[in-house]
Amino acid sequence: MIVLDALLQGILMGLLFALVALGLTIIFGMMDIVNFAHGEFLMIGMYTTYWTSLLLHMDPLITLPASAIVGMLLGLASYYCLVKYLLRGPMIAQLFGTFGLMLFLRYLAQFLFGTDYRIIQKGLLVGKTLTLGPFLVDWTKLSSAILSLIAFLFVYYLLHRTKLGKALRATALNREAANYMGIKTERMNALAWMIGGGTVGIAGGLIVNFWYVYPTVGLLFVMIAFASVAMGGFGSIKGAFFAGILIGMLEMLFPMFGQLVGSDFFGPHFKFTVVYFAYFIIVVFRPQGLFGWKK
Amino acid sequence: MEKVRDAFDFRDFSTPEKVGFAILTLFLLIFPLLGAGSFVKAVAIQFLLFSLFGMGWNTIGGYGGQVELGKAQYVGIGAYTVALTMVWWKIPFWVSMPIGVLIAIGYSFIIGYPLFRLKGHYFAIATICTSLVLQDIFINWKLVGAAKGIELPIHEHPDFLYMQFKSDTYYFYFIMALFYVAIFYMNWFRKSKLGYQLRMIKEDEEAAESLGIDARWCKIKAYSIASAFVAVGGGFMAVYNLYIDPYSVMDLDLSIKIALMSMLGGAGSMWGPIIGSGFLVPLDRFLGSWLGAQKGLIGVDFMIYAALIMIVSAYQPRGIWGIIEQFRKR
Amino acid sequence: MAFLEVMDLVKDFGGVVANNHISFQINQGEIIGLIGPNGAGKTTLFNCVVGYHKPDSGKVIFKGKEITGFKSFMTNREGIGRTFQLTKVTAGMTVLENVMVGAFCRTDDRHLAKVEAAAILGFMGLESVKAYHLNELPIAAQKKIGLARALATQPELLMLDEVASGLNPKETEEMVDLLKKIHKDKKITLFLIEHVMEVVMPISQRVIVLDGGEKIAEGLPKDIVKNERVIKAYLGEKYAKGL
Repeated sequence: MIVLDALLQGILMGLLFALVALGLTIIFGMMDIVNFAHGEFLMIGMYTTYWTSLLLHMDPLITLPASAIVGMLLGLASYYCLVKYLLRGPMIAQLFGTFGLMLFLRYLAQFLFGTDYRIIQKGLLVGKTLTLGPFLVDWTKLSSAILSLIAFLFVYYLLHRTKLGKALRATALNREAANYMGIKTERMNALAWMIGGGTVGIAGGLIVNFWYVYPTVGLLFVMIAFASVAMGGFGSIKGAFFAGILIGMLEMLFPMFGQLVGSDFFGPHFKFTVVYFAYFIIVVFRPQGLFGWKK
Repeated sequence: MEKVRDAFDFRDFSTPEKVGFAILTLFLLIFPLLGAGSFVKAVAIQFLLFSLFGMGWNTIGGYGGQVELGKAQYVGIGAYTVALTMVWWKIPFWVSMPIGVLIAIGYSFIIGYPLFRLKGHYFAIATICTSLVLQDIFINWKLVGAAKGIELPIHEHPDFLYMQFKSDTYYFYFIMALFYVAIFYMNWFRKSKLGYQLRMIKEDEEAAESLGIDARWCKIKAYSIASAFVAVGGGFMAVYNLYIDPYSVMDLDLSIKIALMSMLGGAGSMWGPIIGSGFLVPLDRFLGSWLGAQKGLIGVDFMIYAALIMIVSAYQPRGIWGIIEQFRKR
Repeated sequence: MAFLEVMDLVKDFGGVVANNHISFQINQGEIIGLIGPNGAGKTTLFNCVVGYHKPDSGKVIFKGKEITGFKSFMTNREGIGRTFQLTKVTAGMTVLENVMVGAFCRTDDRHLAKVEAAAILGFMGLESVKAYHLNELPIAAQKKIGLARALATQPELLMLDEVASGLNPKETEEMVDLLKKIHKDKKITLFLIEHVMEVVMPISQRVIVLDGGEKIAEGLPKDIVKNERVIKAYLGEKYAKGL
């Protein structure tokens, strides 16, 4: 029973992880850049919903779009002010470039908001739980998971059924050919960053309902995102989805394993170590992940 | 014997470089006698320490072109080996340090073998992972002090056996000696077969393989050398600070700083890490102490580095040394 | 015993069979050309021999030793050298250093490597540029340096991937002379992929023709150009009319 409960919790969290991973995988699939600042985009999404709901006295679910917008703007700004130039340079520069962005945003947040831990206290669904048969589920987590799924499907629809989405995918597959077909690849780049920023902004806006936000919270989530993307395959959207859920479940099951073995060592504090470890193993032994294409 | 000669042969450097280096050496030699305050001395020691770290990283990250962000785990291995053996068995520094280096090298081969199957971004992320995993283990491992860390026993009388001194001056000359050993080693390295092969791998790995170079094996070797370097630095940190914990010697921030200094100064060049360290360490310390005094400005120092990193990445990935070289060509 | 023997080589890229049961032999001291229209599978074959790709089936035997699936650095150590069609041009190492890397394949001593590299540069007529970086030199020089690098590894079989592409007629003539010199003075067997007929036809002792993943002809240059299947494959190529 506890196992099923853990699995359910895992799936709910996993849907959120999937949304976080989505942005990362789109950007990577587009231009082979790993956005190290992805976790910080999430953090900013979290702060956005937190502050707007607090200062405007509105329910966090209503202020959610603010996170989306801020996320999109952040993505766009990052592209036009930094990433555009990084693309010209060697990989080491690209790596450090987004790394610098990560540090900048992190410490900017620290400067602006201090190091206090914050979480949404007031809201329609805060603190309420739903009883689904034998399971007890937080309304915030459930609604976040559902909204996450909706957002994911929306992006999927955007990418696969609209002309714009097709243009984006075409550029990701073959930049040169897309160029010859009249697709403005520069704009596609920016679009990828906009979508990436927007989705993870939404994810942040959802997560802050049940997870504390503080300036360095990004690191945790970005590593999970990396693991999801690696597992699912860099560039694969389906992969990000399934891998995110898988990791969500893994995280919940791991402390169970510790309890079963009776060892104190395997406690919940190792939850994230498992993720790092998983990334390593996956990337070494199956570099293309579950659905990705081999580079 | 030629190997030894190679290490001391600086003939292929330009005159300004040689002069600059000579001036630096002279300055360092007389520095403790200049009557600087303890804060300045501490900064100078940090500068030399990070130059050492940077030169180590440069071996695989600069010359080899493999950006890795997990050096801190080896600093930790060096530091913990020295600290633990001293606390548990009273083993002197000169015995425990080589053991630490050997452990670091051994560990680097074990990790390196699968690690170097990866390239580029995947590789960089994986290096972060390995370092985080080790740090997590140490944070939770009661045997090695967990998050509380290890305190080294303070000896009444300074001695060379345990490398504990009352005055910073001794530490200064100690790290300076290590610094110069590193420089001579790097001088030899860049002229060695491995050095040439590594540079070729960085230029064009496919071509390198067509010339009989087993790229993966070369990278692993360079990675181990880098690990040995930083482990020595870690050992120094243990006897200098007399306290270590997983956050001070194994943190991701440390790995980033190390890579950053080399990159800023000029990865892949001999002087790059030293320039980078010389620039960033004082900046870090002085900025930190000035800003730390103004309460509202926590984190601004990091924001400045971060901005620096972004600017350098976007405009001159070859760092300060790259800028210097561009001027020379004019 | 053949020097290089390729037996029944198959390489399938999941839909496109780039090499469909290809077999041929090269004897020591020969100069063999490999030609065929674009997409015929020449580069794939080349890569299967040198070790960049692993063949799906078939064998590659060099000097009596099976080297199928050996990686590039292993085939190089066995004695096969190769050049690239496009040299990655970067500013990191000088010409001399580039060639030294090749020489390091056979020695651990830097001075020996330097001497060997200088000797090869001299042999190729490139001493004057030894201190330059690759990105400062014209294509013809870059190609020669690629050759020099490979030569420094003391290969017994040298495989050349479109070594004449991008060269003007005068440079092409120089390249042909250079190849003849390498063949004669260094006693190296040459295997060339080429599109430039002015290079392949005059110096090859035998020519192998690929088309659509299969070997369609093999023989003396003057016979190949009259071969109907070859002419058909190259429909439009004026060189088919006569040497």
